Amino acid sequence: MSDRPLSLGGHRLLDRRRFLARLSSGMGGIALGALLAEQNLLAGEPTSAVGLPHHPAKAKRVVHLFCTGAVSHLDTWDYKPELLKRHGEPLPGGEKLRTFQGENGNLARSPWAFQPRGESGKMTSDLLPRLGQLADEICFVHSMTSKTNTHGPGEIFLSTGFTSEGYPSLGSWVSYALGTENHDLPAYVAIPDPRGVPQQGPANWAAGFLPAMHQGTAFNADKPIPHLNRPGSLSEADDRASRDFLKKLNDDHLQRHPGDAELAARIASYELAARMQLGAPEVSDLSGESPATRKLYGLDDSNATLAGFGRNCLLARRLLERGVRFITLFNGAFAMGEGNLNWDGHRQIASDYNRHGPILDQPAAALLSDLKARGLLDDTLFVWTTEFGRMPTFQKGTNGRDHNPSGFTAWLAGAGVKKAFSFGSTDEFGHKAVDRVVDVHDFHATILHLLGIDHERLTYYHNGAHRRLTDVHGKVIRDLLT
Amino acid sequence: MLINTGSLILALAGLTLADDPAREAANRVRDVLADKCLACHSADPKKGGLDLSRREPAWQGGENGPAIVPGKPGESLLIEKLESGEMPPGRALKPEEIAAFRDWVKSGAAYEIEPVIARRAGPDWWSLRPIRKPEIPSVKDRAWVKTPVDSFVLAQLESAGLEPAPEADRPAFIRRVTFDLTGLPPTPEEVDGFVDDRAANAYETLVNRLLESPRYGERWGRHWLDVVRFAESHGYETNNLRPDAWPYRDYVIRAFNRDLPFRQFVEEQLAGDALPDGDWLTRSATGFLVAGSHDVVGNQEPSAALQQRVDDLDDMVATTSTAFLGLTVQCSRCHDHKFDPISQRDYYGLQAVFAGVNHASRDVARDDPDARREAEVVRAELARIDQRLDLLEPLARPHGSGPARSPIDPVRNVERFEPVEARFVRFTIRKTSDGSEPCVDELEVWSSGPEPRNLAREGRLSASSSLAGYDIHRLEHLNDGRTGNARSWISGEAGQGWAQVEWKSSARIDRVVWGRDRDGAYRDRTASDYRVEVATEPGQWRVVASSVDRAPRVGPAERLEANRPEWDGLIRKRNDLRKRLETLGSSIKVYAGTFTEPGPTHVLRRGDPTQKLDVVAPSGVKSVRPALSLSLGAPEAERRLALARWIGDPANPLSTRVLVNRAWHYHFGRGLVATPSDFGFNGDRPSHPELLDWLAAEFQTNGGRLKPLHRLIVLSSAYRQSSRLDEHARSIDGDNRKLWRFSPRRLEAEEIRDAILSVAGTLDLSTIGGPGYDLWQPNTNYVVVFTPKIDLGPDTFRRMVYQFKPRSQPDPTFGAFDCPDGGLVAPRRNSSTTALQALNLLNSRFLLDQSNRFGERLKREAGEDPAKQADRAFRLALGRPPTADERQGASALIHEHGANSLARALFNSNEFLYVP
Repeated sequence: MSDRPLSLGGHRLLDRRRFLARLSSGMGGIALGALLAEQNLLAGEPTSAVGLPHHPAKAKRVVHLFCTGAVSHLDTWDYKPELLKRHGEPLPGGEKLRTFQGENGNLARSPWAFQPRGESGKMTSDLLPRLGQLADEICFVHSMTSKTNTHGPGEIFLSTGFTSEGYPSLGSWVSYALGTENHDLPAYVAIPDPRGVPQQGPANWAAGFLPAMHQGTAFNADKPIPHLNRPGSLSEADDRASRDFLKKLNDDHLQRHPGDAELAARIASYELAARMQLGAPEVSDLSGESPATRKLYGLDDSNATLAGFGRNCLLARRLLERGVRFITLFNGAFAMGEGNLNWDGHRQIASDYNRHGPILDQPAAALLSDLKARGLLDDTLFVWTTEFGRMPTFQKGTNGRDHNPSGFTAWLAGAGVKKAFSFGSTDEFGHKAVDRVVDVHDFHATILHLLGIDHERLTYYHNGAHRRLTDVHGKVIRDLLT
Repeated sequence: MLINTGSLILALAGLTLADDPAREAANRVRDVLADKCLACHSADPKKGGLDLSRREPAWQGGENGPAIVPGKPGESLLIEKLESGEMPPGRALKPEEIAAFRDWVKSGAAYEIEPVIARRAGPDWWSLRPIRKPEIPSVKDRAWVKTPVDSFVLAQLESAGLEPAPEADRPAFIRRVTFDLTGLPPTPEEVDGFVDDRAANAYETLVNRLLESPRYGERWGRHWLDVVRFAESHGYETNNLRPDAWPYRDYVIRAFNRDLPFRQFVEEQLAGDALPDGDWLTRSATGFLVAGSHDVVGNQEPSAALQQRVDDLDDMVATTSTAFLGLTVQCSRCHDHKFDPISQRDYYGLQAVFAGVNHASRDVARDDPDARREAEVVRAELARIDQRLDLLEPLARPHGSGPARSPIDPVRNVERFEPVEARFVRFTIRKTSDGSEPCVDELEVWSSGPEPRNLAREGRLSASSSLAGYDIHRLEHLNDGRTGNARSWISGEAGQGWAQVEWKSSARIDRVVWGRDRDGAYRDRTASDYRVEVATEPGQWRVVASSVDRAPRVGPAERLEANRPEWDGLIRKRNDLRKRLETLGSSIKVYAGTFTEPGPTHVLRRGDPTQKLDVVAPSGVKSVRPALSLSLGAPEAERRLALARWIGDPANPLSTRVLVNRAWHYHFGRGLVATPSDFGFNGDRPSHPELLDWLAAEFQTNGGRLKPLHRLIVLSSAYRQSSRLDEHARSIDGDNRKLWRFSPRRLEAEEIRDAILSVAGTLDLSTIGGPGYDLWQPNTNYVVVFTPKIDLGPDTFRRMVYQFKPRSQPDPTFGAFDCPDGGLVAPRRNSSTTALQALNLLNSRFLLDQSNRFGERLKREAGEDPAKQADRAFRLALGRPPTADERQGASALIHEHGANSLARALFNSNEFLYVP
């Protein structure tokens, strides 16, 4: 039984080796390297692999806006008139309820008024008015649930489908499945918030047991790819001389080891690195954008964090334009004192969210409307999520809300999803999802489906199991699809 | 005997098959159906309504219509799905298998045997059968056989009509075996010595030297740390650090260097605390149990807290069973194993073994009883010195002006005053460092006199308010004798609050000691404006100390000048005693788990900790003989010890096979079983089953020691082959499973870093063990934030196995080389090629710094002549002199751009990064 089933990737790697082996016999290293890079064999795999896409894709690429710290659905997207009526009363049946931080007080209405938005009249709160204005573009899922009430595991769950670290992220699965569309940028980019990285940082864009080429490359508008540039201490001439000599060493070495595909691939990786050294600064250089665009994204706003997040949103658009397959765009950093750097409004939700709301609202709305204006939304999927929701009550003795994984909101927009649509619901107080309940696996399965991937067939063998993003769970939410 | 019978059957089968191509196709189809289709498409489960186990339903088809049109493969949906690769999902069939299906459909799609039964591993699965030492096969080319390993390898090559590659030359061999056994490149002198060694046993001498080197344990210990997901932080929410986890790493390295018998290695890691012999490092070996992630968040939701606990236990079960047994027992957490003979009860039986293991550090006693006695004396003396130091603190001057006392310390503050009668003591906070509610972890009130006592322990507490809803912050924590944030009090008012101690009768006191967090983890919420008041009657407060005379900034603490000499003397003495205590090593904190007698373990319905089913006794996996079962109430340590003995029992068929295969995996880049932690149905089948069993039996004969096994392998002709590619062999066995050459491999992350340091002449090999060097800037945030240090000095020029390794936080330069991040077990590393790797090796500060140092070394050792420098550079980095052409190019490069430019190129070259 030497013919154990290889994973799809395994087959493709094998095919690639055979392909390279055939090539390398007749060609010198230089031509081969260029050819390899043309074939996108390094930053990822082309889409021509066996069986993929599993079905025609609606979306070619994804931008996943991830608000960390758990955004309260009750103060943003999930309108609950019952909370207005019964403000200050106990949550029925909730007397003994203990949540993440302990005891809860009474039901609490949102500090922000809700208004009907757009032609659809979707009720959203005044906390995020600009995003609310785009409600006609959005497909809301109000019945999300998570299986953990803790930020780190919750964020990892949303990023990887598992609550403990070590598993490949959504973006790296997509990179593994579909490869890259561009020639000088990574297939998968993670854009950390100006305030810092989320809880457990790199575990959110890790490749886990997938090959490292599928790991998200982390950079944002203000922090470039590490080691991208030649350090100042090294002159351009010295740099070039070393690299020329390296090329010669490697070409000679390949001549002595004809047919070894890995050696050839490594040579090509240096050529790709050289192109990335040109491509990455180009994409991060926002100086050519029009004043109107700068204004739209809030690049010159007096709030430095808003302006920084605006730059990140604009960077995301530029990456999408250049064919980057998957972007995770973070809004919010780790927990540092409650509610300080992210959406974790335990004690003073009104003042916390009045700080965080504007930072998100203008730039994110700018990104969504700009993608639409440029026609990119036709084949780009825009995903908005947070790791879980918050309680309809205030925590005992506070003016903030505790964690609530039993019901929260996420939304999609763009390629392949319905517009001005709301799916599922929480109970009358917004405590628990009750109608057409969705879990994170379903959400992942749906994203993969839109990319032309069957989540049950995208597998990778690791330590005794054919692993999937969705583990052994997940159902595509067909009602969301156009 | 086994092999002979096997080959006989195979030979007969071959004859039959050759006679009847149609039957051959049908047989093949039946196997593929059984192995790859029926798991989903049988009577149950019947995905898509399709059942392929019998002719009638198969012809009939499922929801998508008829699957098979007999005689017409072109019209059969089944063939279409197979050819598109859509089925089986993620495990597309090989072309010849698909061809067999076409032939079978064409010839009528008959089912000779019905129903076809889905195959899964039963108790007779190959890896569960007892190990029997097979006979060594005979081969034609007997001269090629250097160790018995070669007979097994060559027998397969010969039967496949393949020839082994010619022997690697000596420079290639020494480079290969030195990296393999020590993770480092050979020095030019070592290469010369070996090349010139004309003795008949030159290879043996070399291998023995490498196996005896302490570098061996550093390399092979690292492999084991991959397998057991060792890392030095908790992961999950906070990823807090485990500064005392390193002794387990040192234990592993030492175990390899000492070549511990496997049985002992298992026992020490599972139950080193319960063994009669062994020193402190042996007792640290249970770090294995708790090397994985651990959720430290104090979750107040009851079901979430239960889930945290069972997740901890799952990690222990999963790691133990995959590392030692090659069984994916964790797949049985929610239901019986789908493919292997492992029941859900087996899973919970194993969980019961670990039910008393807790994630925590414990004090591990050192060994010498004299030293222990002395340490007690030293500790008592240290406590006395601390008391005396407190008494040298200047008296508080609550009505004075200007700073006279040291600044407020979030960790610990002493408020000393003239002895005073008190029945009430009140600590009033009027401002905090950050404006938030103040936090105090312990409030001590000390009696005056010759034998001071902390009277607060006996007092009654009250406070202005307490922050609601936090079990870790409660008023009663103020005098519970326990310190740290998790046992502290926080007031309910922003920036202020008071706490008070009251006694039945008054006493004389002269000191109050308080802190925000004596563990030093938290600095927020610290009182910055406060006063300490006493009273004998309610309401008649008198201020005895306050913050008014605290110095504003951190700086050298001011002491009363008169006390200065005594103070300095005590500090010196305290430092000496602390050092003495370390050498006495009376005890050391080690992240090696704590143990408590567990309650009953239940089977959990679908793994849900709130849905308890039957109680189970601790046990092994029942299908693995000899069976292990303990009584329900077996004592905690006894459970782990019994499991260890069961795993280490030579009769256990799995553990030895798994270990021997791991060794092969690391030597050749792939195991005889290519899935080193899965010997079940979903895992790989051995490429050389007899060889695996022969090695396992031989390993047991040699006392379960690895070093003899290494010798058998690395001295074999199979291992000594060159890596030359042979097109003919590749066309037959593209994956080189039959070993017709040595597959070259890229160096692993640690090898690259270590090799760069070694070649640059900067590698510190003398600092062995102890806390790791740290790449990260310190921080005390609730959620640890990892910011790399900019400048890495010589203290970081140690081998990478000694790098402090937080989970999910790869080394900024070398992590990109597929270095496992400790999130999950990593029985096999990837070897990918990315542009980020190239950028890291071209532009990182580390690489440029080491290139400069390498350049300086060249000048030092080869003088100013660029040609001589080039010679030395090639010999150091690549183990060979440059060709004439290379020498010329390298000399020109050095001449115009400096020796560091050559160094940078060499460190990036394929020849440097690949083991030949």
